[in-house]
Amino acid sequence: MSDLDRQIEQLKKCEPLKESEVKALCLKAMEILVEESNVQRVDAPVTICGDIHGQFYDMKELFKVGGDCPKTNYLFLGDFVDRGFYSVETFLLLLALKVRYPDRITLIRGNHESRQITQVYGFYDECLRKYGSVNVWRYCTDIFDYLSLSALIENKIFSVHGGLSPAISTLDQIRTIDRKQEVPHDGAMCDLLWSDPEDIVDGWGLSPRGAGFLFGGSVVSSFNHANNIDYICRAHQLVMEGYKWMFNNQIVTVWSAPNYCYRCGNVAAILELDENLNKQFRVFDAAPQESRGTPAKKPAPDYFL
Amino acid sequence: MEVEVDEKELKAAGAEPLTDGRHGLRIHGWEIESRKRSILKSSTLELWEKKLETYHMPEMVFGDSCLALKHFKSGFTIHFNAFDALVGWKKEALPPVEVPAAAQWKFRSKPSQQIILDYDYTFTTPYCGSETVKFDADKLEGGEISKDTCNLHWEDCNEKIDVVALASKEPILFYDEVVLYEDELADSGVSLLTVKVRVMPSCWFLLLRFWLRVDGALMRLRDTRMHCAFNDNASPTILRESCWREATFQALSAKGYPSEDAAYNDPSIISQRLPVIMHKTQKLKVPDNV
Repeated sequence: MSDLDRQIEQLKKCEPLKESEVKALCLKAMEILVEESNVQRVDAPVTICGDIHGQFYDMKELFKVGGDCPKTNYLFLGDFVDRGFYSVETFLLLLALKVRYPDRITLIRGNHESRQITQVYGFYDECLRKYGSVNVWRYCTDIFDYLSLSALIENKIFSVHGGLSPAISTLDQIRTIDRKQEVPHDGAMCDLLWSDPEDIVDGWGLSPRGAGFLFGGSVVSSFNHANNIDYICRAHQLVMEGYKWMFNNQIVTVWSAPNYCYRCGNVAAILELDENLNKQFRVFDAAPQESRGTPAKKPAPDYFL
Repeated sequence: MEVEVDEKELKAAGAEPLTDGRHGLRIHGWEIESRKRSILKSSTLELWEKKLETYHMPEMVFGDSCLALKHFKSGFTIHFNAFDALVGWKKEALPPVEVPAAAQWKFRSKPSQQIILDYDYTFTTPYCGSETVKFDADKLEGGEISKDTCNLHWEDCNEKIDVVALASKEPILFYDEVVLYEDELADSGVSLLTVKVRVMPSCWFLLLRFWLRVDGALMRLRDTRMHCAFNDNASPTILRESCWREATFQALSAKGYPSEDAAYNDPSIISQRLPVIMHKTQKLKVPDNV
């Protein structure tokens, strides 16, 4: 058994790798990812997955439902880390699978694959807690800069973490972005990872926060038409039912973190496409409590004031 | 978030746990119950949007969760739920808070015909609980009426909740925390409305907390605490203390406090750093016969 296969087996048990192993794995991953396009071509059949957010045991449920990699070809739409308890193990398992089976799993970047966001929402603290230093966080966030920004399945289905950008009307414009950097605060690369579809605007909308675009049905229609694609598949937003179509089936949101943050009680979904691009959503629940490494702790009475 | 409670302690305090899978207890004429459920389904969420006359709802609405404290003799109930809290949000309708990146975005070339949304995406609410009185079926026609139609009245007072007594380690017979709604502000911070309760042999005490952090911009904490001492010989009096705090990141960093967002994950640790902008204490005497 090769080192890599052994590491994959270890990670499947939710045991993190040694710091030196993470470093070596990231170097290998970098060599593979640097060759990928900003619009990475993906062949069908493929199974598309949305946000995971460090919910390792729920990702194992996902693989139970969708089948193991490499038998099943996977496309993950980003947001592997933050919020859940096992961002380290989750991301490293996906990355190890990527290095082992580069043509059977595609990982694209979500807005949480960023230095700034992971320092606020959990991944940084988790690395510090599990390794006693931030080196692993550094190796991982350096790799984030190499992740592709989108995928194109059989030239017909465009996949991205967030959504569209007013600076982008063709796929070729995405191909020209220099992606090897921290996610910027504005511009096309930022929009692809951050923007959301919105029912109540038709064209473009600006979030009340003063930053962040919202896009309506007519924007999606013209993008799909101009690029000759059937529909857009994205993640980024929690959907209680696991997936949600909008704008006359021109865009679908896929969410793959069941019982999000361990309290929402939502189901998750993955989208399976066969060789003819026929769709099947597979909906699944969170892993049962007893299959998680540690039992749920009952908190001590809290003498809050 | 269940806590194991010694059955002997319950018995000694004259309390009995609720049955049939319900979560809570009966004690000194009160029934205190928490209910924790999943977030609302899309279809229910749409229904709420219609009722509230809005297009915007928090990402996670725990619409079927609640905390209710019912006083048997009077039929008076104080309860906490997401819907009433969102009614308060809709009514207060604060102007939106801009994130730091907004400054850069102003220089960005905008698509033509861009719509700027301007609702309060932080879901800030002045909510401090809901009161109802339920009549027994044999009295009047039965049914529920709101506090406005009966003589329930919160009056301003000088008494304060006795935090010293509350800090004493009296056994906790029932404890729970219920999230009412939560929004991640599209990964720009947190907006969270929760209610915590603890019941001791001598009293119940609760904290309803609205916590908001807009990363790099603003923090807002709106706390409502309620306390009621058990007294079998008189109708209960509830003390309610509301305290609103607020500060911008700019103001905190001017005072020498850290300005990174990650330093402000736990409101109970940093609340003292936020200046008080409103504080009031009120009491409500639950009438014997409404």
